This record gives sequence, C-alpha cells and structure tokens, in this order.
Amino acid sequence: MKAYLVLMVLAVVAGTIFDIVHKRSGVYFSLRRQKARAAAQRSVGAGEALSLALATAAEAAVSGEFDKTPRRIAHLLTMYGFLAHAVTTVLMVFVHSTAAATPAWVSTLWSAGAWMVVIGGLWFFLFMRANVVHDGDAPWHVGRADLFVGSLIAAMAFALLWQFAQANYPGSTAAHTLFGMYLFFTTLLFVTVPWSKFAHMFFKPVVAYQRRIEEANGSSDLPRPSAQNFIVRN
Amino acid sequence: MPTYADMTRCDGCGECVDICPSDIMHIDPVYRRSYNIEPNFCWECYSCVKYCPQQAIDVRGYADFAPLGHKVRVLREPEKGAVSWKIRYCDGRMKEFTFPIRTTPWGSIKAPQEYPEPDPEGLRSPLLAHEPEALHIATLPVLQVPKAA
Repeated sequence: MKAYLVLMVLAVVAGTIFDIVHKRSGVYFSLRRQKARAAAQRSVGAGEALSLALATAAEAAVSGEFDKTPRRIAHLLTMYGFLAHAVTTVLMVFVHSTAAATPAWVSTLWSAGAWMVVIGGLWFFLFMRANVVHDGDAPWHVGRADLFVGSLIAAMAFALLWQFAQANYPGSTAAHTLFGMYLFFTTLLFVTVPWSKFAHMFFKPVVAYQRRIEEANGSSDLPRPSAQNFIVRN
Repeated sequence: MPTYADMTRCDGCGECVDICPSDIMHIDPVYRRSYNIEPNFCWECYSCVKYCPQQAIDVRGYADFAPLGHKVRVLREPEKGAVSWKIRYCDGRMKEFTFPIRTTPWGSIKAPQEYPEPDPEGLRSPLLAHEPEALHIATLPVLQVPKAA
C-alpha cells in the first residue's frame, strides 16, 4: 500500500504538470502576470503580499468564493472530508501499519471524512450540478465534467461499504470485491487529473492570490468597489 | 455587444442560465462552464454580466466597429445596491461608472405569491392590489373637484 500511495502522489504531480503544459495554462498565467505588472499603478511590498496570501488562504479555507450557501456548504463538506480521509489514510499506511496500532481518532476521522464527501458530493451531484438543475438533464446524467466528483463520491462510498464488510464479514469475497472497487475508483480519481478538475485545488488559490495582487496594485480590470451605499430604505 | 464567459473565472453555478431572458446562456456539457450559445441572438440586456457572482462574463464588441483591445467589466455589489462598470477603450482610455440598482436591501422585496390574496371587493375600488401600502404612502392623492359657484 505504501508503494500504491507514492504512485498515486506521483500520478497527481505528473497529471498536474501535463495539464499545465498541454493546456498552456502556465504560459497564459505568466502572460497575465506580466500584463498586470506592466499595468500596475503601485508596487506591492513583501509584507502586503504575505497578508494577501494569508487572506487568500483564509478565503479558500471557508470556500468564500462561493456565492450560494448550499453550494458553499457542499464544497466545504467535500473538501474537508477529502482532506481528512487522505491524511488519515496516509497515517494508517505509513505510521500505524496495523489495525490494532491505529488510534481510534484516526479511524473515526477516516470514516467521518468519507461520510462528509458522500453527503456533500451527492448533495452537489443530485441537486446542484448546473446541467441537472439549470439545463433540465436527468439527475443521473453523467459527463466528462463529472469525472472528478463522480470518482471521488464512488471511492468514498466504496470505502465505507468496504469498512462495513470488513467489520462484519472479514475476509469474505464481498469485502475483497468492495476493497477492489475502492481501489479502482481511487486510482481513477488520481490518474485522470489531466481530464478532470482535480487540479483546481492547486490552480484556484494561485489565481485567487493573483487577483488580489492585481486589485492591490491597481492593475485589476474590475471596477473599484462603490464608495456609495444606495440602500437607504428597509 | 453580446456577452461571453471567461471559463477560467466561471465556476459553473448556472445563475446566468437562469437569468438569461433569451435562453442562450448554456452550460458546456464537457467542462460544465457557461457559454453563450448564440451571440447573434443576445439581447444585450447584460443581466448575466451583472448577475454573475464570479464576474466571469464580459462583453464582446462586434469586430466591425470595436477592434480588439477594449474591455467592459462589471462589479455588482448587492449589499450596497450598486453596480459599477469599468470601460477600457481601444486606445487605452479607462472610464468607471457607478449606478444605483435598488434602494432596499437585497431579498427584501416580497414575491407576488407572498402577499395575501386580494379581496374580490377590491375590483370595485380604484386602488390597485396592495395599494397604498405597497407604495409606502398613507393614502393616494384624491383629485379635488372645485364646487361650481
């Protein structure tokens, strides 16, 4: 399992680099930075840049970029669920190699993370996906855009099913099959980075930080916020 | 000037699809990001431009009179009741404008179905439904006809 986890990390790194090169997003981003620097009306110091980085991290931590509360909650559930599940999986494989040696909080967090992903992911998948809600497609409609969220939900769902089977029917064919499905969807999640939106977790914070820098140095193409409040009646 | 969505800013929430009166803002089935399927049929109402929570929708000028280089960006601030525009002209000039869009807090206006059903007797009244309270006045002015001498 240690080798498998290392391979999956390498798959994400390789997939992200391929994504950046193939879609030329790295070149595009570099051009945007050059344009912003040329159009800057003032320079941003190191201290200010650090505070903007912290503000960006704080916004990402609470999914502040989402306008609608349900979407934001679903994203928070999925994001923290995935992180909890991934970190506890690494702990279980590299630090606590046997079930007996695994602290209760680690296995609890592993299950809780999977549940959070399943709940948040299905909420998004069935009720908030734009094609389903706004374009009138069937709720079970699946396309390439669902590769990330679909494989994530499936991996976490099979993790929970495998946990149940292993607890009640250890060593059974069902337990082995469910573990195989868990591995299949986990592999699918990590090796399809160039075709899925997996890498958004790396790209989005970088672009959000750049946007804050552009607002601070005056090169943003967005208007300045209104100085006047027109809400005068309740 | 029809609209187009910047796919790097769009997060596929679908608000523009809902608000477009021409039903031409759609969601790309592969990337799940919005796009204008038929710019020729755009009414140029800019509802999507103003409503987009990610400021992902921009305005594209027709190539025959608006050469590349211009930009029209908008920032809607519902908490201030304001919408601001930043226009970059082809020659590099920049202009910014701010307009009020409403004077009451966002979400405070009741939908028609949230009002009680009007009394049928109201048909005999010169007042429209929910007048005068909906107009925030005590009574409607009455025309005073001077008595004949």
